[in-house]
Amino acid sequence: MAKKKRLAPASAWVELTTTRSDWDALPAADLRMMVVQTLWIRVFEEYVLELAADGLVHGPAHSSIGQEGGAVGSILDLETTDFVNGSHRGHHQFLAKAFGHVMEPAGDGVPELTDEVHTVLRRALAEICGLAEGFCKGRGGSMHLQWREAGAMGTNAIVGGGVPQALGFAFNQQRAGSEAVTFTYFGDGAVNIGSVLESFNLAAARQLPVCFFIENNMYAVSTPLSTSTAEPRLSARGLGFDIPSWRVDGMDPLAVRLATAEALEHMRTGQGPTIIEAEVYRYFHQNGPFPGSAFGYRTKDEESSWRERDPLDLLRRHVVRRELMTEDELETKKQEITDAMGAIGDELFEPVPDGKPGQRRVRADKWPDPGFVDVGIRGDLSELDDSRYEEQDTFDGELTDRRFIDVVSDVMGRAMELDESIVVLGEDVDGLKGGTNGATKAALEKFPERVLGTPISENAFAGMGGGMALDGRFRPVVEFMYADFMWVAADQIFNQIAKARHMFGGESAVPFVLRSKLAAGTGYGSQHSMDPAGVLTTAAGLRVVAPSNPFDYVGLMNTALACDDPVVVLEHVDLYSSTGTGPADDLDYRIPVGKAALRSEGDDVTVISYLSMVRHCLEALEQVPEVSADLIDLRWLDRASVDWDTITASVRKTNRVLIVEQGAVGTSYGGWLSDEIQRRLFDWLDAPVTRVTGSTASPSISKVLERAAIARTEEVVEALRRLPNF
Amino acid sequence: MATLMRVPEVAAGATEVVLSEWLVDEGGDVQSGAPIVVVETEKAIVEVEAEASGTVLRRLVESGTTVEVGSPLALVGASEEAGDTDSLLAELGVTQSGGKDLEPAQQASEETPAETDPESGAPVAEEPARERIFATPLSRRLLAEAGIDLEEVSGTGPNGRITKRDAVQACRERETSTSTTEPADQPAAQPARAASTPGPSYSEVEHTRLRRAVAARLTTSKHSVPHFYVRRVVRIDALLELRAQLNDVSAQRISVNDLVVRAVATAHQEVPEANVVWTDDAMRQYDSVDVGVAIASERGLVTPVLRGVQNSTPSAIARRVRELVDQANKGKLQQRDLEGGTISVTNLGMYGVDEFSAIINPPQSAILAVGAGKPQPVVADGAVEVATLMNLVLSVDHRAIDGALAARWMTALASVIEQPLRLLA
Repeated sequence: MAKKKRLAPASAWVELTTTRSDWDALPAADLRMMVVQTLWIRVFEEYVLELAADGLVHGPAHSSIGQEGGAVGSILDLETTDFVNGSHRGHHQFLAKAFGHVMEPAGDGVPELTDEVHTVLRRALAEICGLAEGFCKGRGGSMHLQWREAGAMGTNAIVGGGVPQALGFAFNQQRAGSEAVTFTYFGDGAVNIGSVLESFNLAAARQLPVCFFIENNMYAVSTPLSTSTAEPRLSARGLGFDIPSWRVDGMDPLAVRLATAEALEHMRTGQGPTIIEAEVYRYFHQNGPFPGSAFGYRTKDEESSWRERDPLDLLRRHVVRRELMTEDELETKKQEITDAMGAIGDELFEPVPDGKPGQRRVRADKWPDPGFVDVGIRGDLSELDDSRYEEQDTFDGELTDRRFIDVVSDVMGRAMELDESIVVLGEDVDGLKGGTNGATKAALEKFPERVLGTPISENAFAGMGGGMALDGRFRPVVEFMYADFMWVAADQIFNQIAKARHMFGGESAVPFVLRSKLAAGTGYGSQHSMDPAGVLTTAAGLRVVAPSNPFDYVGLMNTALACDDPVVVLEHVDLYSSTGTGPADDLDYRIPVGKAALRSEGDDVTVISYLSMVRHCLEALEQVPEVSADLIDLRWLDRASVDWDTITASVRKTNRVLIVEQGAVGTSYGGWLSDEIQRRLFDWLDAPVTRVTGSTASPSISKVLERAAIARTEEVVEALRRLPNF
Repeated sequence: MATLMRVPEVAAGATEVVLSEWLVDEGGDVQSGAPIVVVETEKAIVEVEAEASGTVLRRLVESGTTVEVGSPLALVGASEEAGDTDSLLAELGVTQSGGKDLEPAQQASEETPAETDPESGAPVAEEPARERIFATPLSRRLLAEAGIDLEEVSGTGPNGRITKRDAVQACRERETSTSTTEPADQPAAQPARAASTPGPSYSEVEHTRLRRAVAARLTTSKHSVPHFYVRRVVRIDALLELRAQLNDVSAQRISVNDLVVRAVATAHQEVPEANVVWTDDAMRQYDSVDVGVAIASERGLVTPVLRGVQNSTPSAIARRVRELVDQANKGKLQQRDLEGGTISVTNLGMYGVDEFSAIINPPQSAILAVGAGKPQPVVADGAVEVATLMNLVLSVDHRAIDGALAARWMTALASVIEQPLRLLA
């Protein structure tokens, strides 16, 4: 008979409820503040639904009516330096954080609806309606509300998508030496998503001051919680990660506040993350002005039983009971905010001429200019203005033969000396004396505390890097051990990091560097051998650079590290072990964004390539001396940074193009480039643009099949010889 | 039965011509072989001869219009058929819409009525199936800039595609296919249009196709053919004496220039390495000596070629030159008269010009510019005497002929001019 011993989780898991004495002990000023803020949010949200019913909100209006208590109760005690981010349902938290930022601390009187509060209401409403004066210039709308000055770091339309970024905010707050914390809000529907669970784990592993605030409103759109999990007490998730967790009635704002106070104490004293699960109820459907019961997934009785526990009514009862405000004063406050919203509406909207009674439309001058559509996808690179640029041909310093991987390591170590904000993170980067390839050797030797090994959870650590970059106090250098892992972290790379700047208004920097390793030819098979360039360059917000030799790596990495846009630096394992010309001691120069390099010159064809294939092209041209070619090493691959001057001059001379890359044709890079070339340079082409790519299949483990699946020198030789056939 | 006469391919590769002048009115009679109409190509102005005898029942193209080669030109038949030309044309498959739009007749005569457009009820003009010509974007642009139709070019690329190589070749051929020398006086043309706006007054005469072609070829020759020049003064007293004697016995008056042309042939025979033209791949040396003669005709500058000059007598040369001048003035030169040769002779001596140098007429490799013969003091055997001297300047394509070779050729020429009896040997 086996012996069994009952085990207990390492962290506490508690349910917190309030008593009359707690309400009596609540400072008067705080209670007045809570009731007034909750009232403002409620009336604001009702006005949003009114606009939605009138067709004035383009897209969904996810109202928080019924859930205000969780927001007000948790945010009341936050400072501006504390951060929040949230989900698609985030009006209430955004407003509560913004109110906290603009309002005086609670005092003796009834909180006033000041001009600053009025401006918050107006800009929030304008943003929700997609208007130019909104917090994100109308780009974000209901689901992407951001006001960095107030510590509202952005709500998010990908369920769970904002959670990993909160780790980055919290890291920066902690690493900057402050006691500030981050609250990340998400719903019951997000709690089973990988990026959330990965984030629980990573936050706990690194003891980050982040509160995972679960608004459990029991329905993911129409799916009830009981059918989506066997453990509907969602705060139980924390136990598996050693995160102390609180479960509270979110309809009781004071209960939320008391749980928050305990969580804040835990986080501000450096003990790591917390989880608060607040049971709340949205009175309306997922979005729009109709109750959930109208869609048949819940009953009217259920809805009315929750409405009886309405957080605003609860606050009103206590504030009146304690004779801190009268019913009349409350009605006056309600009329005041109702009038304020009406006045804001009158300024943003106008009656439709000859329309139905009450029919309104957006005033024409309130819309964003359509010409604003692409503004601010990336920065203007002015942060690079003072750069010292060098090219190998004109370099004054000493040149010597360098192993590529040593240069990768050295330039990062050197950059970390010069820029204390650089932090390296990724899998095994802090182990094996410098990662799986030695790329972080110098960084680890010099600054071990700035080289963070992460668990195998690309979404969490890529997103954490994204959060660090969005905050900006630290500059993350994230490593993907294999490029293929971008699929695992696709939400963070493509939906979040690449879009953040544009989506939130086009102004805030995202200084994020991703080192991504290509490994075709190493026998790692179908899931570790892709060339990601073709896919990465579909994201307009990413810059992508592919250094082909040690000298370029130094300059291009320094530029990436100085650039305020997210930059993916592609590296190839074939290059790591190669030796090439590099600087003997100068590791500080940069190479400009958008400048290609001409590696050979000729008249017959323009060969365009990048990364390790540049060397294969040079070898191929040696073997086919009858073809004289311009060989363009693109270096910068993304659409915004491709060097059209160099390409154009060459194609006008040669009238032929061969684009060379290594990877499978399906995810290949050259397709868009070929398309762009034929449109820009049609009248200069004397033959179709030809291409070298890998095969259709992903490279297999088997050595011969892998070789057959990728392109190297031999494929380029064949393509050069076949040029006359096109 | 009436015959439909179509626009002939008057010059190799020409796809369209300008009909400049009808020589026979509608209702007028023509004999087979007699000129019926004058057309102008880029290369020449040509009289087109009637293919059959009969009455011109209908002229199908108006003067001044551009027509495609092969399109209907005129209906010629018996005069009694004149009443019903429309049905005759219909039988021949010609739908008349005038000018350039006339399409070649359909090959098959179909019993069924022509298809109609279901919406308008109008007959659908059936495009003759014309094969798409494949050409790269670059070659299309190059040919368009050179004004060369794709149909004139044969493609050597994949699928017969016209590529840059073909386009460049076509441009080069176009540039070298007609004669050039330095401009001679043009017949005075009437100003077409006076400047109407204030400012310096000027008048403009629109270029003829011939003038444009001459201009293009001269430009290309001077740009692409590396010229060098060899100058020599020859004494022509003996030549003049021989000419006088010949003219005493010849029905055809022989000019100094005719004798120079003959002397060129002899020089070429003596220095056959100079009887060459440059091609991209090889040096082409000719057995026969064909010599171009620049003619400032009433219609413009042309350089018809005399064949087999090495076997011709001076009087035969004189007669042939006279014919060519006559044909040039009448616009009757044929394309074949304008092609070939390795050298041309151009002469401004009759205008008193002492010396000039000329631009080579590609693909030829040289041109000899002949100045006026004038009495000059010379030193002979230590004494001054008067001799008639003539300046010769040979322009040479350095790709084909080097300096020493040109000098040798010039010596041979001078020698035969100064001992002219050898011309008759």
